Amino acid sequence: MSLLTVVLFQSSDREPRRCALEEGILAALAQESDIVVTAMPPLYDLADTDAALASLRAHAGPLAALAWLYPRAIHWTLHQRGIKGRFGETQLDRGMKPAAPENAADTPARTIWSLALRDDDTVAMHVAELQRILRDLRATTPASAPASAITHYALRITPPPPRWYPVIDFARCNHCMECIDFCLFGVYGVDDDARLIVESPDNCKPGCPACSRVCPQNAILFPMHRAPSIAGAPGAGPDARKLDLSELFGAPAAAQLAADERAAALARSDKPAKPKDDLDKLMDALDDAKL
Amino acid sequence: MPDELVFMMGNFAARFPADRRYTLNHMWLRAEGGSLRFGLSAYALRLLREVYFLEWSVDAGATVRQKDEIGAVESAKAVAALYAPADGMIARFNAAALADPSAINKDGYGAGWLFEMTARANDAMEPVDYLRYLETSWTRAQALLKGQAAQ
Repeated sequence: MSLLTVVLFQSSDREPRRCALEEGILAALAQESDIVVTAMPPLYDLADTDAALASLRAHAGPLAALAWLYPRAIHWTLHQRGIKGRFGETQLDRGMKPAAPENAADTPARTIWSLALRDDDTVAMHVAELQRILRDLRATTPASAPASAITHYALRITPPPPRWYPVIDFARCNHCMECIDFCLFGVYGVDDDARLIVESPDNCKPGCPACSRVCPQNAILFPMHRAPSIAGAPGAGPDARKLDLSELFGAPAAAQLAADERAAALARSDKPAKPKDDLDKLMDALDDAKL
Repeated sequence: MPDELVFMMGNFAARFPADRRYTLNHMWLRAEGGSLRFGLSAYALRLLREVYFLEWSVDAGATVRQKDEIGAVESAKAVAALYAPADGMIARFNAAALADPSAINKDGYGAGWLFEMTARANDAMEPVDYLRYLETSWTRAQALLKGQAAQ
């Protein structure tokens, strides 16, 4: 029986130091009893039809997800892709403690721990944290816990092509629909209960984070955006208990910035789309368009 | 000209050395080798109080434009995004301050510098002009602090 399923989502750039950290964690966890561990392609870029995601959706037990994203971004990207659970507190916040997201109404009772991988991390710190989670689980899990439904995946040499779409933090979203009104590309929609959904994620314009700036609740994440506040860094949001002094330090007016970014995305979308496999190039294109 | 100018933030005397210039987003700068070295002014540090977390979202060598978001700081009381003070290339970050942000509090005008840029910073202000700017900025800052604290 395994108590904890650990999924490590690979980095999209396959940078050697990042690969070394991933492989070190996988190797160390393979020695642990009660843990089933597997590697998967980058969480954010995975196609919705990918078998890896289907296998995760079928798994109902406790889950620890490691990825090269902020913990909030990991949690809500999983949620958006049908892998839901309560937000598990971790001790790896390194000074930036995320406010634990309140659980959305449709959240099942199992816990998902989201562990952010960062360049300066060590194998030991992640293994120690997962062992801590495992100790807690051993103390609280009944012997009849369901077995893991996870299929094993080998590390893929070629990661899937990069994607770009918004991820909604449903602990913050109050379904005000400002984003639907603002987006010109039909990314957003509503479900049968008149709740916001990301209906057509791949309609989103690569590099454009404009809707996240107009969201009154700071509930829209673009996990691959270079600005921490948009990528899901803890602390930025109306529910943060700390003062946000960004305006005093030169933050541009969000509405103006969003309008500019949307206009740039619209101008680009009139040109024939060329496939690009490097997010940085897309970022550069956005920068050039603003000049 | 005195060695430093003083701006009173309530009862707190924020000091501004006269040997450098200042930007609208409350950074100081001075020439260092062939680059400009930037750090947070005493005004910024007083608003933030004890900074204990610093993060950069661009890499050294990145070309940035003024007002691009380049990182974030967090203190016990506040968070703030940091923005590029000028157009140019970020030559390097202060690794010591990144590893231990308490250096920013202890010696914000010296060892607690933030980064060096290859840039012109033509719109940077002389200390006396920065103080005049602070007089207007301080009213806005107090309103923002009170407004957010009341939420």
